[in-house]
Amino acid sequence: MAATAPVVGPDGGAGVPLLRRAGDGLRAAVKGGSALKWTGRIGALVPLTALGFLLVVLLVEAIPALRYNGAGFFTKSVWDEGTGYNATIVTTGGVKHLSGADYGALPEIVGTLQTSAIALIVGVPISIGAALFIVERLPRRVASGIGVFMELLAGIPSVIIGLWGALTFGPILARDITPAIARNMPDVPVLNWFRGAVGNGEGLLTSGLVLAIMIIPIVASTTRDLIRQVPILPREGAIALGMSDAQCARKVTLPWVSSGIIGAAVLGLARALGETMAVAMCCGVALGSVSSNIYGTMTTIAATIVTDLDSAFLDGTGFAVRSIAELALVLMVITLAVNVGARFLVRRVSGTALPVGRGV
Amino acid sequence: MATEPDSVLSGDGFAAVGSGSSSPAVAAQAAPIVATGRESAPDGGVAIKAVGLTLSFGSRPILTDINTEIRRGSVTALIGPTGSGKTTLLRTFNRMNDKVSTYRHAGDVLLDERSIWHPGVDLISLRRRVGMLFQRPNPFPMSIMDNVVAGTRAHKMVGRAGLRQVAEEHLTAVGLWHAVKDRLKDSPFRLSGGQQQLLCLARALAIKPEILLLDEPTSALDPNATESIEGLVRRLVPDITVIIVTHNMQQAARVSDRTMFLNQGRLVEHGETRQVFENPHSEETARYVQGRFG
Repeated sequence: MAATAPVVGPDGGAGVPLLRRAGDGLRAAVKGGSALKWTGRIGALVPLTALGFLLVVLLVEAIPALRYNGAGFFTKSVWDEGTGYNATIVTTGGVKHLSGADYGALPEIVGTLQTSAIALIVGVPISIGAALFIVERLPRRVASGIGVFMELLAGIPSVIIGLWGALTFGPILARDITPAIARNMPDVPVLNWFRGAVGNGEGLLTSGLVLAIMIIPIVASTTRDLIRQVPILPREGAIALGMSDAQCARKVTLPWVSSGIIGAAVLGLARALGETMAVAMCCGVALGSVSSNIYGTMTTIAATIVTDLDSAFLDGTGFAVRSIAELALVLMVITLAVNVGARFLVRRVSGTALPVGRGV
Repeated sequence: MATEPDSVLSGDGFAAVGSGSSSPAVAAQAAPIVATGRESAPDGGVAIKAVGLTLSFGSRPILTDINTEIRRGSVTALIGPTGSGKTTLLRTFNRMNDKVSTYRHAGDVLLDERSIWHPGVDLISLRRRVGMLFQRPNPFPMSIMDNVVAGTRAHKMVGRAGLRQVAEEHLTAVGLWHAVKDRLKDSPFRLSGGQQQLLCLARALAIKPEILLLDEPTSALDPNATESIEGLVRRLVPDITVIIVTHNMQQAARVSDRTMFLNQGRLVEHGETRQVFENPHSEETARYVQGRFG
């Protein structure tokens, strides 16, 4: 810095042309860091502004729907835009809609949570296991090769995975795997959820598993990078104490990066909650009901939005679109809530476990 | 000086080390009795023995034809210049080198006259018998209490109800109990470096090892903490056989009964510490201990 100071020159004297002086001022701003400071400040506001803007726009768009649909939106299992070609326009409480319009998003909300839960329950343990295996068991060269494949898998367009799920994976599940499970599950609470008709492969289980496949590359590669950062010393300490590799992983390696793994899982969860196309292709888009077992057709918020938007535009009152905006608002709130919840979880976990972070 | 009772150590703590290091059956008794079947004098037989041990990582030879006997119940210091192979030798005793993919060895290491590489030797039980403390403190990411009992718990040595007593016993033994007894659920990473190392020592002692390997245990610590560790080391013998790698000549002279001098992978000299420092047989040793090289 000191060496460059003379280049800037002694503060532009009287003889220096105006333009040059302005240029000097700019240069000084850049060099002095004030330009950077302001870019940084503005940049820091972008995420906040964008989030606020999205929320406000969705809210404004959804207000009529919120007023008309009321609390029933969260308890009813119906998605009816009105009485088709004979529809008349009705105004209820200042909100224009087609006669007979009735919206309840319970199946969408429940379906979103169910598919995401299946994706997490199946995907996260597999991801953690895969990450441990890659880091601790595989030679470097093989590990990096697998890493390339994982990133490729993460980059495959969801419509392709959805097509595979709908044409190949779902039918195979329904033909060869799920009938046996459904037959043999005992009729007791929780497990009886796995009994009953298995359908043709379109439905909750297929959607959840397809989502699991989609989040595994993200969660596994993030976890792998985290595990690589665990220092050797505490791991050697565990080994020297006579712990097995599994004990070392469970007691030392994974806890060392537990908050990061929660972050990775939330990343996967966010993807699962919002994933649209693959689920829309695999779920059967059953708007009106919550599936009674794990194999039944169902729908999610995102799938409903994408499949119903077209017909919603046909509603001349615009109310169907507003209901879809309400649906989108609900999805956004769920996603934000999950993130905030994860943050609290991370904070609690890092209390005693983490070498860095709070209180150290 | 370092062998005098340290200020952080209570007399009770000393007693607890004594009972903690003996066999589980003896540990049940309150009195600090030296385990039966183990001599108390520094020359109480051979604890561990290297026979023609030659070791390499890839094509790089680290140790060449090491023949030595570590006396049971004594403190043996391993000294030598950087790269002389002392840490590798130390880590061979509990087979910590096994994981290095290019590692090869010839010759043998005998623990109680039995090869540590014998197919019948269970790696986990070997490491229970031969404990280790590292260059820098390495607490696990769990509470202070859980750290102390981590090994005890992994080996199911005591029931859940007995864990707290194990923790108290060994934290007392290393003189840490009063400092941490009110925050056993806290993170160990909030302790000072010296306290963390004492915690790691308590953790290593809690699985009742027969031999304790110390790999430059005080190199990252301040003088006070160093003094605590050294004082403790003196009090571990004769119940536990201690092998300590150190770069610090004074430390070797202070804590050890016997000293081994390694240079370029060869065992140059092994004898009583006083003799090695004051009247070395080898010119090489003389030059090293007088600080003329290394």
